[in-house]
Amino acid sequence: MASKSGTISTYSPLFSRKNPNFTNGVRSDGRHFHECRLAFLRTGAVNAASGSAYAEFGNTKVIVSVFGPRESKKAMMYSDTGRLNCSVSFTTFSTPIRGQGSEHKEFSSMLHKALEGAIMLETFPKTTVDVFALVLESGGSELPVIISCASLALADAGIAMFDLVTSVSVSCFKDDLVIDPVFEEESCQDGSLMIVCMPLRNEVTQLTVTGEWSTPKVHEAMDLCLGACSKLGDIMRLCLKEAASTLQ
Amino acid sequence: MRDVNFAMTQTQKVRLKRALQCLRDCSVASSPVIVADTIPVNLEDNILKGHGTAELEGEVVATLCGAVERVNKLVLVRPFRARYKPEIGDIVVGRVIEVAPKRWRLDINFIQDAILMLSSMNLPDGIQRRRTAVDELNMRSIFEENDVICAEVRGSQNDGSLHLQARSQKYGKLEKGQLLSVSPYLVKRRKQHFHYLEQYGVDLILGCNGYIWVGAHSDGGGKNEDFEDLSAKLEDKMEVEVSPLAPHKEEASSVPLGTRENVCRLANAIRILSLLGFNISMELILDTVVASVTWNTTVRDMLGGEFYTRIAEREAERRSSKRATQV
Repeated sequence: MASKSGTISTYSPLFSRKNPNFTNGVRSDGRHFHECRLAFLRTGAVNAASGSAYAEFGNTKVIVSVFGPRESKKAMMYSDTGRLNCSVSFTTFSTPIRGQGSEHKEFSSMLHKALEGAIMLETFPKTTVDVFALVLESGGSELPVIISCASLALADAGIAMFDLVTSVSVSCFKDDLVIDPVFEEESCQDGSLMIVCMPLRNEVTQLTVTGEWSTPKVHEAMDLCLGACSKLGDIMRLCLKEAASTLQ
Repeated sequence: MRDVNFAMTQTQKVRLKRALQCLRDCSVASSPVIVADTIPVNLEDNILKGHGTAELEGEVVATLCGAVERVNKLVLVRPFRARYKPEIGDIVVGRVIEVAPKRWRLDINFIQDAILMLSSMNLPDGIQRRRTAVDELNMRSIFEENDVICAEVRGSQNDGSLHLQARSQKYGKLEKGQLLSVSPYLVKRRKQHFHYLEQYGVDLILGCNGYIWVGAHSDGGGKNEDFEDLSAKLEDKMEVEVSPLAPHKEEASSVPLGTRENVCRLANAIRILSLLGFNISMELILDTVVASVTWNTTVRDMLGGEFYTRIAEREAERRSSKRATQV
């Protein structure tokens, strides 16, 4: 099949990697390396859902709605614990390239993994809880935002949980650790680490590491993430407190 | 039904804010807890941990967002926004979602569908007898899909499914009215859940599951008559084994405009109360309705910023004066 002229041959792909735009320890959006984006959280975004929440971290905007617990479909096998159904989708206008909106299978399963440890599934046998996340605008670190927002929505829906779930990710560049990376930073990172934890219980429900890491760096990143997680947890609790006090 | 943003002027916003703050100060209930908050208890009292609590490192923590309630030794969290938790004898309003063999499946805001067996309801002819195959075929003539009905919680089976019963004339199909859904937390269990408001000609059913029915009054006697009529029709047709229900004669008798307005007024009063997060009680609903009439608020203006604010202020005033007399 090779052409006789021999002009066609394979070539190794060229990685055109931009370098992150750091000047004197300040990132492109003016934050320091260990500084998270400003967060806005609000419960009750979707009226039709049993529980819902909206989260905005910088340019990343996410709506999560929770339906249920409702009776499982007959086709499903009997189970004496509840089921958790997660689905993450992107709007068509969420990314700079239009028309890529669809369900994100990988994020869906990651969200499921992150939440199932925190929800007391045994409290609602034979039933299903559906969690639908919709990314309105993706400005980096979508998954951590989705997970935190989802736990807020679950709490709003009155579903029994051990603790709120918070999540923060860190990007690794040669020597620097950058917390809560934005879209541009994520596209040129050397590695990433995401922690999902229950801050008041000091338990981790999920840990995802990609890329090349050294042991001390992983330690440093984990400390950084856990610290940020507990702070995010405080903000989330404040948001729920506020919602609860208006309901009194 | 929450976070409805009425168009409000700046002064209304300020007034509302002040009223809500006042309400918050007056609330006698313990402060709300949220997931993983520690519930202060005296561990030497041998307390019992109820729903919505868990133990963590020797402390009792909440697993739900809600209000802490204590009954003797039992400590439990009543969630603000959660599905309905049935108790035997509760009166519920629900919607038929499926007609299955020998049973109806109802949506009553429980985590599962509730079941109303054909055998646990009075037949239209009022005779106690075994249910025959013909009865089973005629189930759709009693309740159809999407009918709103009212029933009582009978109990739950071993597998957790919930059974209802409707063994009285007061239960049954609800027509000519509105179904409202509020958070089940807001409807407290009372002696009386059926209300007939004579002055408005309206029936009000406060379902414990947070579904509230506001409808034109249907006379109990008339209902019987209707049923008799229906059963006579059924008997006529039993031989042919079909019962395409003749067009309802109720459709002919329309509800007068005044009653319809009253239904809407009551429904809007309940909507406003549930938006403000007040417990839905008969007295408060009537009070709100009377207030709306005395303030000359039209039915449609009841769902507006001004009325919302005034109701909040009114309740705040009442609670603070009540507290003042107690002190």
